[in-house]
Amino acid sequence: VQSANMLLRKIVRSSALPFAAQHGMKKDLFLLSRTLSLSLCLKQDKSCEPSEKLDLDEWKKVMKSRLQEEVSETVSEPKELSSLAAAHETLEMWRLAGRAVPENISEEQLKTFMECPSKSAKKKYLKYLHLKELRKKNDKRKMDEKRERKLEAQDQASKTDETKKSSFVCMWSSIMDKAYNWRAAQSMIFGQPLVFDMSYEKEMSVREVTNTVRQIVLSEGCNRRSVDPFHIHFCNFKDDSLYHREFIKQYREAWGKLLVTVTDQCYTEIFPKDKLIYLTADSPKVMKTFDHDKIYIVGSMVDKSIKTGVSLARAKRLGLETAAFPLEKYLLWSTGAKNLTLDQVMRILLTLKDTADWKKALEFVPKRKYCGFVNKPVKELKKTLDLINTLKIGKGREEVQKQFAKSYPKK
Amino acid sequence: VQPPEKPLQAEEWNKLREDFQSPEIFEEVMLNSMIRCNSPIDVAKSLLTHLAKRNGDLAYNVLVKYLTLCVQQGQVSEIRDVYDIMKVRFKILESGAYNLLIRGLSNSDQWRMALTLLEEVKKMMIPSRTCYESCIKAASRHQEMKLAFELFDEMLAKDVVPTLDVLQSLFDFSRGMKDAELQKELFGILLYLRENQIYPHKTFMRSIKLWFESIPGGKWRGHLTNIKDSGQCPVCNHQLEDSNLTEEEYSNLSERIIRDVIHGTDTFRKTSPQEFEAFQTFVENRLPFDIVIDGLNVSHIKPRKMQCENLFDAVNCLAKENARLLVLGRKHMLINSSNWKREIMKEMQNKADFFFAENISEDDAFLLYATLRSGKHCKFVTRDFLRDHKACLPDSLTRHLFRKWQRGHQIVFPSVFSQQPAFRYDCVVQTTGDTWHIPYKDVFEEKYSYQVPRKWLCIQQK
Repeated sequence: VQSANMLLRKIVRSSALPFAAQHGMKKDLFLLSRTLSLSLCLKQDKSCEPSEKLDLDEWKKVMKSRLQEEVSETVSEPKELSSLAAAHETLEMWRLAGRAVPENISEEQLKTFMECPSKSAKKKYLKYLHLKELRKKNDKRKMDEKRERKLEAQDQASKTDETKKSSFVCMWSSIMDKAYNWRAAQSMIFGQPLVFDMSYEKEMSVREVTNTVRQIVLSEGCNRRSVDPFHIHFCNFKDDSLYHREFIKQYREAWGKLLVTVTDQCYTEIFPKDKLIYLTADSPKVMKTFDHDKIYIVGSMVDKSIKTGVSLARAKRLGLETAAFPLEKYLLWSTGAKNLTLDQVMRILLTLKDTADWKKALEFVPKRKYCGFVNKPVKELKKTLDLINTLKIGKGREEVQKQFAKSYPKK
Repeated sequence: VQPPEKPLQAEEWNKLREDFQSPEIFEEVMLNSMIRCNSPIDVAKSLLTHLAKRNGDLAYNVLVKYLTLCVQQGQVSEIRDVYDIMKVRFKILESGAYNLLIRGLSNSDQWRMALTLLEEVKKMMIPSRTCYESCIKAASRHQEMKLAFELFDEMLAKDVVPTLDVLQSLFDFSRGMKDAELQKELFGILLYLRENQIYPHKTFMRSIKLWFESIPGGKWRGHLTNIKDSGQCPVCNHQLEDSNLTEEEYSNLSERIIRDVIHGTDTFRKTSPQEFEAFQTFVENRLPFDIVIDGLNVSHIKPRKMQCENLFDAVNCLAKENARLLVLGRKHMLINSSNWKREIMKEMQNKADFFFAENISEDDAFLLYATLRSGKHCKFVTRDFLRDHKACLPDSLTRHLFRKWQRGHQIVFPSVFSQQPAFRYDCVVQTTGDTWHIPYKDVFEEKYSYQVPRKWLCIQQK
């Protein structure tokens, strides 16, 4: 009976039924199909009538038998857990439940996790650790693959012929390092100063400080490799500050040999006030040209929770001139905040210094933030863009007309 | 994937798994779709059995998914079985499983077990809102109102914010009970609504009304009504609370605005100490004003008109009643341009006092300061909702004060979008002992935080 049933189900599923019906097999098949549906009902009633062997609660038995084994193994385990261990257990359970939680967690991270003020903060922190872990794993896997490929290639190379001869000994990178350092040393004597204002520690969270330092490290790298580097100053730099500790973490021994000027003095104490220009996106003044005689100040701050006016306030307090990059003038801005990362600012400044070409310099603004470069005056382009957007979104007709009237007044 | 309609044998599951594009996650996807389709529990059981036989164990997330299905279908004995298994298999459970267990059991006749589970959760963490709410509802469904309110108070003490739904159920299940303690607790909820400026929606309001009317010997009567602009209730002729702040609230609010909104972390962010001082002396010398106008904001009311014309119209309109006006602006308004004509500016300065801030300063902060300094009668004109300034205030109590003050003192010129006019009465749940007035929302969700309901429930004791 069972096999007949199976066969029938197949027939019904493969839509042979209408075909068969057309060919005069209607009656028989309908009869059969009725018995089929009947048997289906029965199945649901007794939950599993035809598959007699299937014991639906067997999984419970399996689990319980397993439990007995385990319980006998771990009888004498102490029941009380320290809060740290309890947190660890909770994390483990979350991982088992399929949440974004790291597999391994250090004690320090666990403590940070426990100190998070809210549930969502905890969740975010765990997700961050989880992604970090994933990235690390991926990198490691890629490294391993690369190594293997290299070994294979070496094997093949050694089979075919000896190493190629070249007049240069392979010391390219260390020679480059020396050349770069020479230039940086030159810039420390003759170069144009560029100030990083390190007075924002209070405004930032620990992670923001970490990001800031990473961005500064990148900027310093760009600067060192450029043709005509700036003389970098870290002003308002306090020893043993969070910045300092992060720098040591990033540079290790190289921190002591870095060709930059580090000072706890303010820039106003080192340089004449009228030469200083504070770069900030909040500035009402837009920078027109790069001035080789001025000293530009960049605020060493990452503000994830956009804090408007913080760096402008610094400049206002000290009575310094401010400037913002002419992003609106040259780029058709689409999304994102106008504040750029420190390394982007550095690249833009370096390019301006070398070429004075805004278009070239602003190539370093992330592409996702703008639609393109501007040829016509921005205002007109913006109007058309707004108009296109409103048309696209399909706002009410009135609104479009209003927009139109605004952009093209009757005269 | 479509889950099967009936339990499958191991071979059949194997076949399905092989046919699936990524077999590693087959079980997970299958269980998820079972939950979505609300498949018969036996089908899930057969999958579990298959998995248990194959691996000799079931993963935690598989058990949780199965539990979700059981809770969805109210399979109480299964929920208990899963709990027993989990309890022995894992040292502790995480919040997701507890939520499910408590929700599942609280809807059954074994609801007391949900309470013991809640105690278990409390040992490890702050129970979630759903945990508390399930238990509260279960207790009140079984007429254990005392227990329900104990849990409710505990929930509030732990800063877990209840939904309107659970508040409503407390009213629903207390209907017809004569118990002074209980009455006090429910009045407590109404006061909770008052303190947090929460407005009940229509169905909740109806529950409140029915509860009042059901109190044995209470002689409460409820009527739906609209309050007159004067603040009088047309049903009981009672005058609603004034929208003015008390002396203490008022000074508290002005202090906070100066400290947190104007100065904040750094006075230079919004203005500068010199400028603020100059403004302070300017205001002190000319106090008190009747109306303070945000010049720039008002100048944008009609986009097709010249900006100074807009401002001129507004000033003229407000000056008629012989009021003392202060217009706040920025220095750029003084420079003759296509939008700002010098003659018109001169003309206006005869009718009102003007203060021009630096172009990079924020004039809104000055607006708040000048209005608050002038006293309770002073109103201000802007279309701005001032949300960013409200956000600068650190605690919710002061923010509520700010909203209340704003409702009573902000004038908005009718234009593209219009806010309600300044209220004379306070739009909040209120009582005099023998009357209750409760504003309620017509729709379930309130769309804008600045909108206040216009409809009221008037309850009076005869």
